[in-house]
Amino acid sequence: MSNALPDFDLLRPQSVEEAVAALQTSPSARLCAGGTDLIVNMRHGLVELETLVDLGAVVAMKRLEADAAGLHIGAGVTLRDLAESEAVSESYTAIRQAALAVAGPGHRAVATVGGNLCLETRCLYYNQSHWWRKANDFCLKYRGETCHVAPTGNRCRAAFCGDLAPALMVFGAKIEIAGPNGIRRIALPDLYREDGADHLTLAACEIITAIHIAPSKAKSGYAKVRIRGAIDFPLAGVAIACERGSPSARSFRIAVTGTNSCPLLLDGPAPLADGDDPDAYFGALNKLVQKAVSPQRTTTTGAHYRRLAVAALAARLAKELVDG
Amino acid sequence: MREPLKGHAAGRSVALIDGIEKVTGRAVYTADMETPDCLVGRILRSPVSHGRIVRIDTARAAALEGVLAVVTGADCPHSYGVIPIAMNEYPLARGKVRYRGEPVAAVAARDARTAEQALELIELEIEELAASYTPEQSRAAGAELLHDDKPGNIEREVHDEFGDPAAGFAAAALVREATFKCAEVNHAQMEPHAALAEYDVSRDRLTLHSVSQVPFYLHLTLARCLDLDTSRIRVLTPFVGGGFGARTETLNFEIIAALLARKAGARVMLRLSREESFLTHRGRPDTEVSLKIGLAKDGRITAVQCQVVMSGGAYAGYGLVTILYAGALLHGLYHTPAVKYDGYRVYTNHPPCGAMRGHGTVDVRHAFECLLDRMARALGLDPFAVRRVNFLGAPTTTANGLLVNSYGLPECLDKVEAASDWRQRAGRMEAGRGLGMACSHYVSGAAKPVHWTGEPHAVVAMKLDFDGAVTVLTGASDIGQGSTTMVALAAAEILGIDLGRIRVVTNDSAITPKDNGSYSSRVTFMVGNAAIEAARALRAKLVAAAAKKLDANPDDIECAGETFFVPGGSQSALPFHDVALAALAEEGTITVKGTFTCPPEAQGGKHRGGAVGSTMGFSYAAQVVEVAVDVETGRITVEKVWAALDCGFAINPLAVEGQIEGSVWMGMGQALCEETRYTEGLAIHANLLDYRVPTIVESPEIEVQIVESIDPLGPFGAKEAGEGALSGFPPALVNAVADAIGLEADFLPLTPDRVLDALIKARRAARRKAAS
Repeated sequence: MSNALPDFDLLRPQSVEEAVAALQTSPSARLCAGGTDLIVNMRHGLVELETLVDLGAVVAMKRLEADAAGLHIGAGVTLRDLAESEAVSESYTAIRQAALAVAGPGHRAVATVGGNLCLETRCLYYNQSHWWRKANDFCLKYRGETCHVAPTGNRCRAAFCGDLAPALMVFGAKIEIAGPNGIRRIALPDLYREDGADHLTLAACEIITAIHIAPSKAKSGYAKVRIRGAIDFPLAGVAIACERGSPSARSFRIAVTGTNSCPLLLDGPAPLADGDDPDAYFGALNKLVQKAVSPQRTTTTGAHYRRLAVAALAARLAKELVDG
Repeated sequence: MREPLKGHAAGRSVALIDGIEKVTGRAVYTADMETPDCLVGRILRSPVSHGRIVRIDTARAAALEGVLAVVTGADCPHSYGVIPIAMNEYPLARGKVRYRGEPVAAVAARDARTAEQALELIELEIEELAASYTPEQSRAAGAELLHDDKPGNIEREVHDEFGDPAAGFAAAALVREATFKCAEVNHAQMEPHAALAEYDVSRDRLTLHSVSQVPFYLHLTLARCLDLDTSRIRVLTPFVGGGFGARTETLNFEIIAALLARKAGARVMLRLSREESFLTHRGRPDTEVSLKIGLAKDGRITAVQCQVVMSGGAYAGYGLVTILYAGALLHGLYHTPAVKYDGYRVYTNHPPCGAMRGHGTVDVRHAFECLLDRMARALGLDPFAVRRVNFLGAPTTTANGLLVNSYGLPECLDKVEAASDWRQRAGRMEAGRGLGMACSHYVSGAAKPVHWTGEPHAVVAMKLDFDGAVTVLTGASDIGQGSTTMVALAAAEILGIDLGRIRVVTNDSAITPKDNGSYSSRVTFMVGNAAIEAARALRAKLVAAAAKKLDANPDDIECAGETFFVPGGSQSALPFHDVALAALAEEGTITVKGTFTCPPEAQGGKHRGGAVGSTMGFSYAAQVVEVAVDVETGRITVEKVWAALDCGFAINPLAVEGQIEGSVWMGMGQALCEETRYTEGLAIHANLLDYRVPTIVESPEIEVQIVESIDPLGPFGAKEAGEGALSGFPPALVNAVADAIGLEADFLPLTPDRVLDALIKARRAARRKAAS
């Protein structure tokens, strides 16, 4: 049974530039911030590396500021600090709720925003010990040939299980990426692709340094499908931002996590217009979410339930944002 | 009922005397005992569910630099098992493997990474055999046998009939049947398994520290498996981080650590990962209970028929006791004049099940309390009323020969009914909210131990020396249940001294008296009685010395407040230490002992297996659970629990309260979200993310009340307190869900996906019914 950590060099850069340089020292170098995801995977024998780049000393990435341009969240900000931020609490309820929905208080005290966005995808055939995976002939995501979730398919179905990404997406978050070729900005959905074995579009030696969100007057919320009120990764999660139009018209931005190999920013729904029958509208919203997601057998809880439950929570949350 | 004792120590709430170390992190557990010279042990486990071992080649592993020992099944030809007639397990598989995760080899190396590398170098060739994962598969014609001597893969069948069930059903006004499926659960004790073994080659002596609840059984098993004389072995248990039954039998890793230490001639630390702790298992088996109850119009039980099928896993372990308990404890809670029981413990290619809190009784009690509730509704009876009409009267003997000496169930029901405001609230809750209730009971120690030697059931020794301190020596394992504090309180009460004067030394086979261990809730009853007897013996010596000094008749001497005195006498009271020195002057260091032996009339019926379930006294419990159900997501929230337990007498009310809360909480885990899951025999639950023990977020307020029925045989009247309240929770929850949304759930746990699925099916059925 594996749980001994491998030998590796630990680098502790002081700046983003040093961190990028540190990543370039070894092809297998990996970033580590809070370590709540990576170290667990390392102890499971899922990560081979020679160099670990600890971002703990990069002060510039720990900035959390709100101004007229909106919200600037350093990738090194902890989930606890994010949840406790006044600016976030005032205007970005979904982000606060999503941050508080992650694991437990001990994790949130060290886990970071960047880490949560880059969370490794999860699957019950992957998040296991070396002995377990070897007994099961490994899997497509790591050292194996077959995806045990969808054996006839040709891609890994491991699910993205970060709580924060959908909450940031519904506010149109952009992320800042530093790399060997300088700095670039992309919309958050562009960070991801639907492939459980390779779900991040980051190039080699790139680091997410910050997240930018424009000012928002939207009401928002995050709801999580889970068995327990703490610890659990999302079986599915949904964030919604709701903007007010005419007296009773509303438009919604909806993003979902935990159901696919990447978080999804949904197309639609069409705005709720004056005179629409609310029950029919939210019933249709429920169906829209059900159709958009494709949960797989990646958790001990069935895929069908996760689809139904996340759609029900989405409809309920949307309604609350209108009514509340 | 006798009046409870109003003592200066017994009956007063005391924080556990070993609690400071635990909450400050200073407590040393087995895994903390690693020293720089320790070798690191690792176990190679079977990758397949069922197969014949064709070849194990350890040469390359043994040759690896830094590897000091490699052991396989060839190193231990002796089988073991907690039940003398069912020892069919080897510490390292021999010939066959029977579940994925079964140990086949182990290494000891200078560090963890070397040990893990060595495992990769062991060549293991297995010829796979067909595997069975359910009792249906195992019992099917032509199924591959797990054990050649067990046709049909049946580990044990039990067929008992007491009274006249056929006549009882014929006389019933209402007969109902239902089948309940209860998922397998695991103890998930906080401390993962660990053992530290040291072999002294020059003296041929083994010292083993472990996490055991049963160091005495472990000692015997080590002697058997290592061909060592018991005198060459010393077993110690330091602080233990929970047991719940997981450690009530010798476990393979304990023997493996010893085998490695002997082969390496060294100290070996074997720490199991959480996954390995789950694979070692011994949890409550997946159980199907088919139950039929007959009730008279007024709710009196006329007959009970029950079939239980347990998926026991690959080895015997405690299995035959579990299947016997399941039938035996159909009796003893209510007046059940006619009971037919058929039990089948079936071998399957999963990790072996064993004893777990509420051993054998929980799933059967669940079925019983659920069906009784449904039938009460059908008869238009209140759930409390249907229980009250079936009360036993103590003392009595049940149809299957169980002695019931004290019976506080009526008072338990009264208390939870009043506290929950049941009469005002039941049936009048808002939509999606419900109240449910259930009763339960459990033994205060098995009246006949597994290893029947004729010895007393418990021995406690006490030593008094020049320092005036009283040292209590006991082999009872404190696994967090508070037994060490209980022993100290019993001694302090009898001797009239402060708790601070007492030190309790536990679990070192070289020092402490043999004890059968911490299982079946036996410790308070048996060890408590032995402690009282020892303290009385010590007090007699002190009283004699005091009488001599005071020139008084020993019968006139009293001891209290750390003094000895003649009540109403003119002489001043003698301080305890002065009397101790006077007594020491007579004979030097004083050692005394007390014992406890269960009376024969408590040892059960004469039928085969009749000893299982027998006890000196049953605890009784009732609880009310309030739930809210979200019908869109299937999620159940437990809003509040009211629990009452008759523990005879609460020697330490604070600890009793904690035990009741813990029982309720563990029952809640099984009811709501805990279950093991396997895919082709491979555990997919073996971590604390996927094995969902409830968190503090789900933990409701639990209002606890203690009932004291003062058992005639119990120490100060005490009975057990740590298990009885568990099995009432799952049925109370299911009954509350039925009250809330009308869903009669026949499954455990009530995870949101199962609940939603059941609701969807119920809605469809209702639509079909409406359409037709």
